[in-house]
Amino acid sequence: MLRLLRSASVRLTLVFAGLFVVAALILAGLLWWSTGAYLERETDAVIAADIQAIGDRLRDFGLPGAVTTIQERVAETADEHAIYLLTDPTLVPIAGNLSAWPAAVGPEQGWYQAALVRDGRPYAARLLHVSLRGGFQLLVGRDIQSWLAIRALILNALGWATLAALILAIGGGLLVRRAVLARIAQVNRTTAAIVQGDLRRRLPAPEEEDEFGRLALTINEMLSQIELLVEGVRNASNAVAHDLRTPLAELRAHLEGIGRGPSDAAPIPDAVRGALADAIADVDRLVAMCNALLRLAEIDSGARRAGFAKVALAHLVAEVAELYAALAEEKGATLTVDAAAAIEVTGDPDMLAQAVGNLLDNAVKYAPTGHIALTLGRRDDGRATIVVADDGPGIPAAERDKAAERFYRGDASRGSPGHGLGLAEVAAVAKLHGGALELTDNAPGLKATLVLGTA
Amino acid sequence: MKLLLVEDNENVADFVAKGLRESGHTLDRADNGRDGLFLASSEPYDAIILDRLLPGGIDGIGIIEALRRTGNRTPILILSALGEVDERIRGLRAGGDDYLAKPFAFGELLARLDALVRRAQGSGETVTQLAVDDLRMDLLARKVTRADKPVVLQPREFKLLEFLMRHAGQVVTRTMLLENVWDYHFDPQTNVIDTHISKLRQKLDADAARPLLHTVRGVGYRLGGDA
Repeated sequence: MLRLLRSASVRLTLVFAGLFVVAALILAGLLWWSTGAYLERETDAVIAADIQAIGDRLRDFGLPGAVTTIQERVAETADEHAIYLLTDPTLVPIAGNLSAWPAAVGPEQGWYQAALVRDGRPYAARLLHVSLRGGFQLLVGRDIQSWLAIRALILNALGWATLAALILAIGGGLLVRRAVLARIAQVNRTTAAIVQGDLRRRLPAPEEEDEFGRLALTINEMLSQIELLVEGVRNASNAVAHDLRTPLAELRAHLEGIGRGPSDAAPIPDAVRGALADAIADVDRLVAMCNALLRLAEIDSGARRAGFAKVALAHLVAEVAELYAALAEEKGATLTVDAAAAIEVTGDPDMLAQAVGNLLDNAVKYAPTGHIALTLGRRDDGRATIVVADDGPGIPAAERDKAAERFYRGDASRGSPGHGLGLAEVAAVAKLHGGALELTDNAPGLKATLVLGTA
Repeated sequence: MKLLLVEDNENVADFVAKGLRESGHTLDRADNGRDGLFLASSEPYDAIILDRLLPGGIDGIGIIEALRRTGNRTPILILSALGEVDERIRGLRAGGDDYLAKPFAFGELLARLDALVRRAQGSGETVTQLAVDDLRMDLLARKVTRADKPVVLQPREFKLLEFLMRHAGQVVTRTMLLENVWDYHFDPQTNVIDTHISKLRQKLDADAARPLLHTVRGVGYRLGGDA
């Protein structure tokens, strides 16, 4: 229930229904005030006026005056069933159309509602009891049987009307909820898809210029801004990577030139030669990093799709595994390969080889003396998976999400060779092929699953 | 060798030209497509180094197609910036002989040029026997001997050695090996090729007086030739 209340649309429905019911109740109250309650007020006013008049007569003309007035009134109101009774202090009737003081009316003055009997038929009466000067007791009343019936009718009608209003309120609320929810759900679905990575997607253009339409437009503008910024950052890093390559190549050439040395000079000492080789290796690493960045940009741009072809994964996985097997063996790791499944995907063989290679490279890097298992398989939904599982230190759960980000290097990988782009590249390749890179705990170690869409 | 370099980027052109001249080659240069095509079709070259994108109305692919149409078979090495995906395929399809993505190590360029020129000068006959020093390879029987003693190789090692023997005396780079022996165009982060080479070296040179498989520092490997 609490969870339900947290939903904005449920709250909206409840508020809507509540307001509707309150409005219906106010309307019913007003109706009641001007109909049912009006009858009661009118009757009470007439009775009070009668009492006043009879009291005045008693004061001005004594008992006979009052008796005369009562008799006149009884005669005048014969068809209204008015009730008059004047008694002496011992409640013995003096005048009026009641034969005896009704048992329902007590000794205290005031309003009473009592069931009386006329011509053998019971009826409801509203009565006012007043003590007059000299201890005379005056009782004036009206038959309210008919307006009680009217009042019941009105109450009944108001009750039904309120019930109808309640039903309308709930129904309307649900309709409003559905309408609002449907549009919000649409926004939600689309933005979720955009979060999944396709920044080029946009919410459908609104049909109406209402709040939701404006929300869609605002979100679309926001997405354009984000895309622009992401593009900008990407372009900047691409430009840097691109422009760095030429000077790096020149630097490498210079270093090589020093290594060759002028032919007539003394031979270069081994220490210098070693330092030069190290410097050249450093330059090569930088170039590799630039290349990886540019490859990432190329993958992200989707341009690689041009080179898509049918790829037999078993063959590809086996070949890449064979390429890295010698490396694993040299380091002391065991590599087992299960790539028997006959699975074909539409993809870029070089990129897929690169991705599998990166995963194996990582595994050998972090579990150099452990066991590495490479498995080609298929999920229940038909998607191909290439799993590389090692029993190395793995990646802490908190870092796993970030591990595939560009240049992210976990604590465990600091100090080891690599440019922090390997997993990012795998993730990008996966995305290019309609899949994803999933990193999970191999307990111990890392289990990297490259999920691909099948074709 | 007499070479032609068609490249509009002055930095790249200077860097390549300097290296090639230091390596003892003669070099003509053109910085646009029109001049490049003119030189390529009027002078005999051992090989042409051609940038893919060129000013001057005709680009690299255009030059290759024009030359091939006129029966000019000069080996052509295409240079291109990475990021132009199907460039390699298009370039090779148009008649280019090899493809190198910028930036490249100069050693890589030189090794590939060497391989191209040697291949072009080859007899073109189908070879069934390869020999380097006392190393013999029988391509039909798929047998290898060193000093008449059999060397047992895995299929991939055989392919690797075959490539090295076909380019005996030349420097071959790791990338060339990956592309030609494994048929992949990707960038293994670690030098996985090195481990395959060292395994092969153990089988070939372990008991030999003279090592045949040399490492050329910073560039690649060479089978045979002077150390």
